[in-house]
Amino acid sequence: MRKEFKNTVLDLAARDPSVVVILGDISHYLFNDFQERFPDRFYNMGICENGLISVAAGLSAQGFHPFVHTIAPFISERSLEQIKLDMCYNEFGGNILSCGSSFDYAWDGATHHCYTDLAILRLLPGMQVIQPGSVKELETLIRSQYNNGKPTYFKMSDNPHTVALPAIEFGKGIVLKDNAARVTVMTAGPILGNVNAACDGLDVNLVYFHTIKPIDTEVIERFRDTKILVVHDSFGLQEAICSVTGLSVAYHGLPDQFCVWYGTVHDIRKMIGLDVPSIRAVVSRLVESAA
Amino acid sequence: MNQLTPAGKTIRANILNASHLSGHGHIPTSFSVVEMLCAVYETIRHDPANPAWEDRDIFILSKGHAALGFYCVLAHYGYFPIEKVATLGGFMSAFGCHPDRFKVPGVEVSTGSLGHGIGVAVGMALAFRLAHSPRQVYTLIGDGESNEGTVWEALMIANNLKLENLTVLYDNNQSQVRSLQIPNPAQRLEAFGCEVISVDGHDLPAIKAALAQPHARPKAVVCQTIKGYGSQTLASNIFEWHRKSPNPAQLEALRSELDAERI
Repeated sequence: MRKEFKNTVLDLAARDPSVVVILGDISHYLFNDFQERFPDRFYNMGICENGLISVAAGLSAQGFHPFVHTIAPFISERSLEQIKLDMCYNEFGGNILSCGSSFDYAWDGATHHCYTDLAILRLLPGMQVIQPGSVKELETLIRSQYNNGKPTYFKMSDNPHTVALPAIEFGKGIVLKDNAARVTVMTAGPILGNVNAACDGLDVNLVYFHTIKPIDTEVIERFRDTKILVVHDSFGLQEAICSVTGLSVAYHGLPDQFCVWYGTVHDIRKMIGLDVPSIRAVVSRLVESAA
Repeated sequence: MNQLTPAGKTIRANILNASHLSGHGHIPTSFSVVEMLCAVYETIRHDPANPAWEDRDIFILSKGHAALGFYCVLAHYGYFPIEKVATLGGFMSAFGCHPDRFKVPGVEVSTGSLGHGIGVAVGMALAFRLAHSPRQVYTLIGDGESNEGTVWEALMIANNLKLENLTVLYDNNQSQVRSLQIPNPAQRLEAFGCEVISVDGHDLPAIKAALAQPHARPKAVVCQTIKGYGSQTLASNIFEWHRKSPNPAQLEALRSELDAERI
């Protein structure tokens, strides 16, 4: 997904002289060609995430469209106040693209995991929050949102799903299955791959979100009278869905503890019940209880 | 302390009056920055009649709690009538105890939480370089504010980029004598790559001369100031008066101190 990010921004930079890239000493080699073509608009600024956001806000204030990129927990959780005040409160926009997602850096341990980025950033007034699950979603949503003047967060992953999606539109949820079932599974981002496989052949509806904020309340309302199960490897989606009042919502996702195991993202997902068999078991139980 | 200039006296009297009428404001820190702010507004390209003038230089008050002093200086240079400032901190007032860029003409960035404005200033300076613009960026930080690590992050970034269009005014008003003092800030700022000039922060011509000095890297003007400068009472009791407004008797006493031959 990072390669698609770079390719998209490289293309945008060729058309738009206001595009500026700021790296937190990550993905540097990936951006070699960008640096060669646009040396004045490429900054590997340093391992100083708070500063990166403030600088991006200043660039935005003077008409540029910055893309800030580094590891998810450091640019979101560490820099929350800079995003809140320098970007949101001052209404200086900018694009923040994180890598590592929830568990892409599983082997690096809990310091490099990111559980709360979507949840905390969606609470900030004026913020847009996106979790693209595939490279096509990423490209489409960057192109449609990068210059809208609003602070926009993209939670990227190196483990995208491969589920075919219909048209991708910012702020719009996607109904992948509508079986008029009593249970609706809702999910977001790359975990869709596991969720889609887990739901195969089950009597459920399946709704997918790439945009966490603004959440598509219209599509949620459509399934109001069903039992909603949110399956997600992050916090934030469940809370966004529950902003629609009066729903029956359960959450299957992160535990209330640090995920202190190493290995791969697949190992972590299995450990916390987000592999295909575990998800299928949870969904099946809900389907049975709703029958 | 020497005698105040007429402008310095008027602005400080307005600070006292607005705080008295509103019950709000940080007076000692507002007093320490008056000459620094006057030097800025007598140096930068700006137009009080057109605060959004596209060729203007930028000033950012990073230590946003000196807002009351900032407002009184902006009023002094014609951005708005001084009477409005007396609504300070009131419901529906444009004048908060920290400045809001959407409400007060001349405020470029809303600040308050310390260590933010300087980072945004670095971004604006980079933007002007990218745009090949001659516009300059000035920001005022405090010594207390410089307890925040983000100040030093911003300085490292600015100096790594060699932003010759950025000037940082450092208000060394000794606000952290009871906490985390920063000894010898000039040496530290120089170590972080700035071109440093140290001046008496209440000597308006000296500050203006420092601001006029050309520089090839970010410039830091370290201003030795006295918190509460202009009033012996305030300067001697900076913690008691940190966020306190004078009652009528105190107002009269403090104003009379401003009128003293030597303050």
